[in-house]
Amino acid sequence: MGWVLKKAGKTLPLLSAVIILLIAWWLLSLGLKSPAVPPPLEALKSLWRSMQGDLPAHLGVSLYRILVSLFLATAMAVPLGLFLGKNPEMDTKAAPLIYLTYPVPKVVFMPILLIVLGIGDVSKIVLITLIAFYQILVTTRDAAKNLDKEYVISVRSLGAGSWDLYRHVYLPGCLPSILTSLRLGLGTAMAVLFLVETYATQKGIGFFILDSLSRMNYEEMFAGIIAMGLMGFVLYLLLDKAEKNLCAWIHT
Amino acid sequence: MKMNNDYLSIKSLKVEYMQNGQALTALESVDLSLPQGKTGVIIGPSGCGKSTLLNVLAGLNPRYSGRVMIDGRTPEGGGETALILQDYGLLPWKTVWDNVILGMQLRKKTHRATKTAAEAVLDKLGLLPMARRYPAQLSGGQRQRVAIARALILDPKLLLMDEPFSSLDALTREEIQDFLLKIWEETQLTILLITHNIEEAVFLGQKIFIMSPCPGKIEQAVDNIMAGDYNLRGRVQFLEMCSFLRSFLHRRGNYGMGA
Repeated sequence: MGWVLKKAGKTLPLLSAVIILLIAWWLLSLGLKSPAVPPPLEALKSLWRSMQGDLPAHLGVSLYRILVSLFLATAMAVPLGLFLGKNPEMDTKAAPLIYLTYPVPKVVFMPILLIVLGIGDVSKIVLITLIAFYQILVTTRDAAKNLDKEYVISVRSLGAGSWDLYRHVYLPGCLPSILTSLRLGLGTAMAVLFLVETYATQKGIGFFILDSLSRMNYEEMFAGIIAMGLMGFVLYLLLDKAEKNLCAWIHT
Repeated sequence: MKMNNDYLSIKSLKVEYMQNGQALTALESVDLSLPQGKTGVIIGPSGCGKSTLLNVLAGLNPRYSGRVMIDGRTPEGGGETALILQDYGLLPWKTVWDNVILGMQLRKKTHRATKTAAEAVLDKLGLLPMARRYPAQLSGGQRQRVAIARALILDPKLLLMDEPFSSLDALTREEIQDFLLKIWEETQLTILLITHNIEEAVFLGQKIFIMSPCPGKIEQAVDNIMAGDYNLRGRVQFLEMCSFLRSFLHRRGNYGMGA
């Protein structure tokens, strides 16, 4: 009985959110009477048709780009962020470099990346990675920097060396912040994904949406938007799940 | 004075640290000695470098001048010295069990030895039922006991405690003080403890060191035969000792400000 209620406690808000969104959309399409905003039912029907067609292939390509980018960004940013946060003297040296390059909108490099790395997946992955990298790096570094020094002192007094400190103190202590930065990074990555997929490519959900737009098939365009939204939603859920499992100590 | 008999011996210790490009002296010509198996308590205002002193003894700060010897050797981290901090320094992301075995893990002890030792020490401290809990799920007194367990599992010879009971309520505080005494009687380890609390100093310290602030220095070492005697707590002699210490601290006029 308990788990039914617990399940319902989570599903009910989600269900009502979906219903509210659909009603708002429906009202908007009624009010605008524009073919560019089709009613939700038409879009959902189109989504169903597209899922039998080539939409899954486009989604797969996009998912691959996002996942590889986020993985690469995490694999580079987390160790570097922990290192800089643990060693303030290195951080002072690296900080100017980070702060000079962080605010530069990386998307402006897209044309250059296309020329240098070609129009394949590599240029797109590099750009998304670069953007997510900075978000994760800065968050991780700050988390490591602000970690209570009592933890470090007490674990060092037990005989811990540098590696032990990373393993037992810095990484687990910063994990909640790292996962938060991944969630933020995911949002940005999705936005950038759309942008990079609208240029010089025939694959990906971004291309699918823009292609439908150019064919003035608005139902299909919205099908693409829904699919992209759902992809982001599922990735969010996975990160949430990971956080619950990896940071059990916060949820006690 | 025969220095070679002392388990812990500090001679003209000086510690400086840099703050905003300025060298500040935290400790200046500190002399302190404690025989093996005795308890020592350092009392003094906050900010007088007491924690700096413990960091040196725990082997965490090698940048000092003077002579510091623990059992004839210079202090080093991960040896036979255990350090317990004011806020216990327990890792919130590790369960009680994982916190307690951390030192064994770092020393690369076998799985079996670790498990046996952890079970024994947790049982002794009455923590076995909460082994799977996280520190946030424990009361202050329980957390303090976990910190003690984490230190004891390594069989230390010297136990350093930095205001270990300051965030506990009065009742729990006395309970843990009694508990610490029991452990001390059983293991005969050498204990050096920092406190703000005069009664605590008299109850726990066979030697009481009064420290002056900025830069920290031992002003006076008092021998105290009443330490560890439950029956004397609250008796006239005990209170006299307390008021002696209090007047000494007040005479310098700095105690009230610091505390």
